[in-house]
Amino acid sequence: MRYVDAGYVVVLSILFLYGVQLAWRRRRLARAVSRAVSGSDGTPSEPSVIGRSS
Amino acid sequence: MSGSASFDSFSGRPSVTAPAIAPTPPPVQSARARMTERIIGVLALVGTAFTVWLGLWVTPPDKFQGNLVRLVYIHPGVAWVALYAAFGLATVSSLFYLWPRTRSLFWDRLAAASVEVGVVFNVCTLISGSIWGKPTWGVWWAWDARLTLTAVLLVLYLGYMALRRLPAEPEVRARRSAFVALFAAIDIPLVHFSVDWWNTLHQGATVLNANLTSKIHGSMAWTLLLGFVSLTLVFVWMLLVRYRIGVLEDWLDTNQLDLALAERQSEGTDREPGPGDGSAPVRVGVS
Repeated sequence: MRYVDAGYVVVLSILFLYGVQLAWRRRRLARAVSRAVSGSDGTPSEPSVIGRSS
Repeated sequence: MSGSASFDSFSGRPSVTAPAIAPTPPPVQSARARMTERIIGVLALVGTAFTVWLGLWVTPPDKFQGNLVRLVYIHPGVAWVALYAAFGLATVSSLFYLWPRTRSLFWDRLAAASVEVGVVFNVCTLISGSIWGKPTWGVWWAWDARLTLTAVLLVLYLGYMALRRLPAEPEVRARRSAFVALFAAIDIPLVHFSVDWWNTLHQGATVLNANLTSKIHGSMAWTLLLGFVSLTLVFVWMLLVRYRIGVLEDWLDTNQLDLALAERQSEGTDREPGPGDGSAPVRVGVS
């Protein structure tokens, strides 16, 4: 049975770890997006000046 | 970037003011999509747990293979997901991307997500097959047609993933990747028919053979079927999450520059400009 057990453990572990990694990646990116959006909320009250100067 | 003409109070000359930077709205996942994803995730977990329970404790040992038959409840399932569900979907998505009428980055993201998940299942296929092969054939690996072509498939899709990491415009990357996915897909029918076309160590089709007559019976057949369904649900859940990651990554890539500029602008306008202070509005122009 040790080959059978090893097969189940390896396959299920790979799928589980990949699933956890996916969930973690998504959470990290969702946080990055919400941080970026909240960071840009208080933005440009005054636009930058682009033009000719002396 | 369009600008509007205004009067520069410093120089008294007309100038062009940059408009407020407005990044595209962030991609929001609907409550319905989140609920669907959770339901699929729970079903996948429960189904997989049942498959393991039936496979390891309920089903009887095989007349010829003994307990090793228990590996068969997961090995064909992961192989089915990798070969047909994941890489098949990637192929169809790539075709849809290349077809001018259906061209959309949606198909590109779907193909990328499908390939990544498929590669994980392909690795599981090779490992579980190898663990079954050692006690059955006496070797961990044989340069058998089915095994070798499955390994080639893995290398091809790893190449696809590597190609996607090269810096390029989204459309260029999508087109290149779609062509590579179609090239890699040539190997899918080769893997499928390898057991018929060549004399291989790997057993022939047990469930999906030419006569559509299953050679597996009773509780073994039901456990195998449940394994197929559960692992497919695992794949669907992973695909949904991976697709969402692609959407978020693309949004950040597209808007990162705008957001950084907006941040700098807000920093510049939050502080009072002073002599020699770098916080004064940026002046770009020809003197």
